[in-house]
Amino acid sequence: MSLLKPFSKLPGLNAANILLVENEEQLQQRLADALVEETAVTVNVRLAKTLPLPLKNEKSRPRIDLVVFIINLTSELSLQSAEASLKYLDPGYFLGKVCLLVTNARNASVPPARLDTVRKLAASLHCPLLCAEDQTPDGVTNAAERLLTILKVAAGLVPMTTALYLSNLTRCTVPSDIDQQGFD
Amino acid sequence: ERNLVAVERVAYSKGLPPEAISIMLEFAMSLRTSPCVRVLKCLIPATVVPQEAVVRAVVWLCVGKIPLSTQVLFIKWVLTMFDMIDAKDQLHSIYGFLFSFVTEENLVCVVMILLHLRLFRVRKLLDLQSKMGRQPFLMHLLSLYKVFCPELVTLSLPSRMKAGFRNHNSQWKSALIAVQKKNSFQVTSSVSLTVRLKDKTNPRKRKHNHLEVPALSSAVNTQTNPSSSRKLVPLVQLHSFSLLLENLHHIELPAQMGSLLGSSLALQYLDCVQDESAFLRLNFWLGHALHEEFLFCSSGVSQNSEEVLQFLDRLLSSQHFLQEGFSSTEAFLYKFLNIWDGSLLRPQILGMLSNIPVVPSSCIRQLLFEPLMQLFFTSTLFFKVDNMAAFLSEKRVENMTLSGFKDSLMELVHFVGRLASVGLQIEGCHSLLLSFILDFYETVCDMFLKYGLPLVVMPPAGVFYPALFATDPMSLLLFFFFFIRYKVNLMSAKTQEKQTEAFHISRQTYREFNHYLVVMVNCLWNSKMFQPGMGVEMEEELLVSSKVPQYWSSFDFIHHPAFLSYAVDFHHKCWPGSRNVDFNSIKPWGWYLEYLYAQGFEGLKQFVQSNISRRSTAGDGQGDGLSADQR
Repeated sequence: MSLLKPFSKLPGLNAANILLVENEEQLQQRLADALVEETAVTVNVRLAKTLPLPLKNEKSRPRIDLVVFIINLTSELSLQSAEASLKYLDPGYFLGKVCLLVTNARNASVPPARLDTVRKLAASLHCPLLCAEDQTPDGVTNAAERLLTILKVAAGLVPMTTALYLSNLTRCTVPSDIDQQGFD
Repeated sequence: ERNLVAVERVAYSKGLPPEAISIMLEFAMSLRTSPCVRVLKCLIPATVVPQEAVVRAVVWLCVGKIPLSTQVLFIKWVLTMFDMIDAKDQLHSIYGFLFSFVTEENLVCVVMILLHLRLFRVRKLLDLQSKMGRQPFLMHLLSLYKVFCPELVTLSLPSRMKAGFRNHNSQWKSALIAVQKKNSFQVTSSVSLTVRLKDKTNPRKRKHNHLEVPALSSAVNTQTNPSSSRKLVPLVQLHSFSLLLENLHHIELPAQMGSLLGSSLALQYLDCVQDESAFLRLNFWLGHALHEEFLFCSSGVSQNSEEVLQFLDRLLSSQHFLQEGFSSTEAFLYKFLNIWDGSLLRPQILGMLSNIPVVPSSCIRQLLFEPLMQLFFTSTLFFKVDNMAAFLSEKRVENMTLSGFKDSLMELVHFVGRLASVGLQIEGCHSLLLSFILDFYETVCDMFLKYGLPLVVMPPAGVFYPALFATDPMSLLLFFFFFIRYKVNLMSAKTQEKQTEAFHISRQTYREFNHYLVVMVNCLWNSKMFQPGMGVEMEEELLVSSKVPQYWSSFDFIHHPAFLSYAVDFHHKCWPGSRNVDFNSIKPWGWYLEYLYAQGFEGLKQFVQSNISRRSTAGDGQGDGLSADQR
């Protein structure tokens, strides 16, 4: 099993590397275009459909600072693929270097159970769960900005803040069923 | 299995013809296992639903062999397709059977919407209630009945029944709309008996049907109750406030409660009459509209369209007008925050956020703080700033005991403090963020004055020190003002405490304040930075190795980075032409301070005058300073 390891290579100077894993390969490209717009830091974006990554690129690949799994809630396959890929990550990544991004969270045709499953998954892995609006360019830009915020911390470019610290602040919690709760 | 897939495909694309519906429905209801659910889910009619099919299905329902969840699903389906049932006379006669399901808690919420109003039914409900006590679902039913026939239900119901009714029909509805779009039918979105939105003759505007705030129109009272002898004036006929006043007791509310949102006159009426049933109807419509548009929307709908924005703005202005939020907005917001991406309709959502009342602290943590915290830390600076601004305007009194309210408010302030401290750290003490945070704390400080609350909260160290060491003069200026405010408030609190024993500000607060004051004066005036007990402590060797000469005075008035440009300016004015700028040559400080005051540092002037007593000896700018209030 070839695990992706977070600390086996040296970091680049003023650079951050992000890996976007998406089964449908739809949002990745647009996100990547938005991410490289950043000027303060050199952002390198790698795209993948699933993990494990092909062995032949192993030597030339830089150290990946943040792995983002993009899950399209309207497709069950997307979730399953992401879950399967998670197994190929070294545990070191789960200290704040993994992030789950879901799309179509507000869609009517999504069974609510699926979002709950993703939420539970994120909570058990202690990684943040971001929701993105992928239908509009503004939504994509916003998602890219949020990923950049996390990426900069994960790459160690923000003083006094480590990835683990941020992940503690942004951890996902599973809310109990709000409908049943009385507000009194 | 293959057949099922084929049927599903046809259903979703074109809709099933009536005969197919009846066959499939019968098939579904006679099954006992899980395929039944799938079949039910794909029963999208192309034209109409034959009544007999529904009747036969109800027969199966009464047989009682179907699992409860399927029963619920069936009834939800009937509800969704209600308008498409071709004739309803047979259905009316079997309502009695449906009514028998009232005791099943799960079914109640959906069953009651199908029921007609009949006197004996209300009586039966009341009997049931007396037997079972004030069960929540019964209360909902009764309150809904009260909406239609207030004279039948004479109980007093608790005000503001807050639970919304689950709007889970939307899966079918969206499929239905899609099918009908293809068959180019007009869609009448059936919400409930109460609210029928206007049928649009133009099918192209169909998509935003449910968002249109309908025009004010008079209620269609199909059941003329002979016992009612009051003459009711429909609200639509009143055009001015004076007319409203004249007819205050005879006003009849419109059928479409959503229309009230548009008219300020109607809102005024609503506010003064405080009619629970009216609020219930309004909340129901509002909740449904918000859910449909934002939580369960069909894909491909553009969210930032003009109509959406207008609707939300109208909602916000109504809430602002009434000086309180609607409970359905609150419920919607809690759900929405969990799936919000932080940028969609940001100003409107944050506006709604500031209208939320302060709720008991047990709930607030989970409902509000967790999602907000997540969004806050993963978003950009500007989101953080906007969020702070929203917190500023959020203070509302809910019906709670004073101590409960105080606790919740304290928790809110502490939460914001935490966000602020960490936010500043992550954003590198950005001055924009800092100014908003200081603004927030100023508001907190005034809380005492405005609401008479015995509550004074000091900002945490994570906010105090970045403000003190800020590198731009604006922040420092704000900081001075805000500190003076605090002192004033604290002093008046002390005097008030002596007079009335009612409230008590803890010693802790005074101690914190004093400590901060001492630190400030020592740092700025006495040039005693970094000494033990002065807040920020560092090891001697470390400071020496930084090679900063006289590090203890590195943050006083002449050396503070924020005042750098002013110091240089002053130096040039004093010694024009001298090329080496040595700040230590600026003494006595009195002149320098006067210069600073002239530059507009009003806050500095007040601070120095109220806190520093100067026994200045000649040539030595350092007074000895502290008239801090020691307790």
